[in-house]
Amino acid sequence: MTKYRSCFSSPYFRNFFVTIFMLFAATASSFFFFHSVDSIQNISILYILSTVLTARFTVGYLPGILVSLAGVMSVNYLFTYPYNQINFTLSGYPVTFFGMLLISLITSASTSHMKKQGELLAKQEKILMEVEKEKVRANLLRAVSHDLRTPLTSMLGASSTYLENESFLSDSEKRRFVFQIYEDCNWLLNMVENLLTITRISGETAKVTKNLELVEEVISEAFFRLKKRFPEANISVKVPEEPILVPMDALLIEQVILNLLENALSHSHSSKAIECIVRKDTSNMYCDIIDYGSGIPEDQLDTIFDGCSHGQNESSDAKKGFGIGLSICKTIITAHQGRITARNHKEGAIITFQLPMEDIEDEL
Amino acid sequence: MSYKLSVLIIEDEKNISSFICTTLTNQGYKVLKAATGKEGLSLLTSQCPDILLLDLGLPDMDGICLLKEVRTWSELPILVISARIQENEKVQALDMGADDYITKPFGTKELLARIRTAIRHSKRLNFDPKFVQKPYHALDLTIDFEKRRVLLKEKEIHLTAVEFKLVSLLAQQSGKVLTYDYIITQIWGPYADKNNRILRVNMANIRRKLEVNPAEPVYIFTEIGIGYRMIEDKLS
Repeated sequence: MTKYRSCFSSPYFRNFFVTIFMLFAATASSFFFFHSVDSIQNISILYILSTVLTARFTVGYLPGILVSLAGVMSVNYLFTYPYNQINFTLSGYPVTFFGMLLISLITSASTSHMKKQGELLAKQEKILMEVEKEKVRANLLRAVSHDLRTPLTSMLGASSTYLENESFLSDSEKRRFVFQIYEDCNWLLNMVENLLTITRISGETAKVTKNLELVEEVISEAFFRLKKRFPEANISVKVPEEPILVPMDALLIEQVILNLLENALSHSHSSKAIECIVRKDTSNMYCDIIDYGSGIPEDQLDTIFDGCSHGQNESSDAKKGFGIGLSICKTIITAHQGRITARNHKEGAIITFQLPMEDIEDEL
Repeated sequence: MSYKLSVLIIEDEKNISSFICTTLTNQGYKVLKAATGKEGLSLLTSQCPDILLLDLGLPDMDGICLLKEVRTWSELPILVISARIQENEKVQALDMGADDYITKPFGTKELLARIRTAIRHSKRLNFDPKFVQKPYHALDLTIDFEKRRVLLKEKEIHLTAVEFKLVSLLAQQSGKVLTYDYIITQIWGPYADKNNRILRVNMANIRRKLEVNPAEPVYIFTEIGIGYRMIEDKLS
């Protein structure tokens, strides 16, 4: 059974089948024309059409060429005087038939050539995509390892200092070390959760499972989780009077909001309130995260979502680079068919993400 | 000496198990530990603890199966311990009869609060049959179930019939998470459409009547993907 099936899909079988079919179709329709309208110009055109189609739907140059030759023969044998005889010598015939042959061969060869070019381009594109994917994966791994190392080193330092100097340390000093470890753990946990959210986006298709969620509920949960880690954070959230329902993966969007809020907290270097404002128009929901701090350096505005773009002057906390958090935001928003952008306003930075109100898949 | 409530912890990770044990012992509970489902079941049947803490990711049996079995013969308060992205397991556990859930990693305060809430609402440990009908008080909110009135800062708030039912349901089980399905079944009946859009819209309206900022609620909290939880009654 499988031998039978593979026989059908083999390119040779397909070539054969298409060639025969085209010749048959051309001949049949030519007969129709011949007997009803009696003009051989159309018949030549039909055969030339069949060579183009054969070249288009078969592999290689040969079938097209064969149909060209067979076409010329058929026209001469079946449709031109003397009928049912091969005769290329009547006046005018050599030019006509040679012309027909030439046209057929050229169109067939051109079509086959174009087809080959097309296939080559597709292959090259595929390879390029693979290389791109590998690069992204390598970058992510590098960024993750780098970002993970810092808090781990810090925890190791704090705990070993505590253990080695236990008898000399005052209670408040001991507490300080343990608190350091606690903070680093929280940071690590957040990073790991960020990474885990990526696994919710299906690998090949980069799609997410969407449910209708109330935007205010997703935001409030993100807000609470952030407050747990940063109780002194000064953040205000505003949603419109009318409740907004948007199709989304709530856990992922929550992670986006968390990442953006945390990013605003650590980069604005200011104690002024960070605002999170939700608005909508007929087709999209928009969420702006506005901080009143130092803003984003102009040269980094385009690349902050690409990951691992540590600022030039980041001397202290290397873990506070724009790093993974923002690039994960972009991945998630893109998987939702949304957009995320960053720009500066007079007193700081605004990062805006938008999500379509209608599930674009549903439209179809 | 007063009666100590006993807690059974079924958790395979030793570190987590021992930290919970220490915390609870310090708070005056008697603690039993099991590292596998089988061990847990046998302790349940032989020692009859008052409360069960059940990890969903057990090595030898499915936590949900254990839950189902326990619920066939016991009403004891059960809290499930789960990881953050396991929403489906959490909802399943809650619908199968778990009283609440707690997400790893959790802090001591959260754990103790959830246990207290579970005890309060447990039919077995609850000795006050009139408890449920007493008015609910939390922050500036008062709900009088008998008179069907809701007061915010002494001013009466008008809720629709459905909205009142919703708020009452949450208030009577305050502190405990109620799943979307459970709420829909209680308010709209068992044959209602399980699409929870109407529930979400009603909750959004309630939030706008009760909360100063619907995005920063203080009375009714959303547990995304799972359900809602109302702030605990002051009198607990």
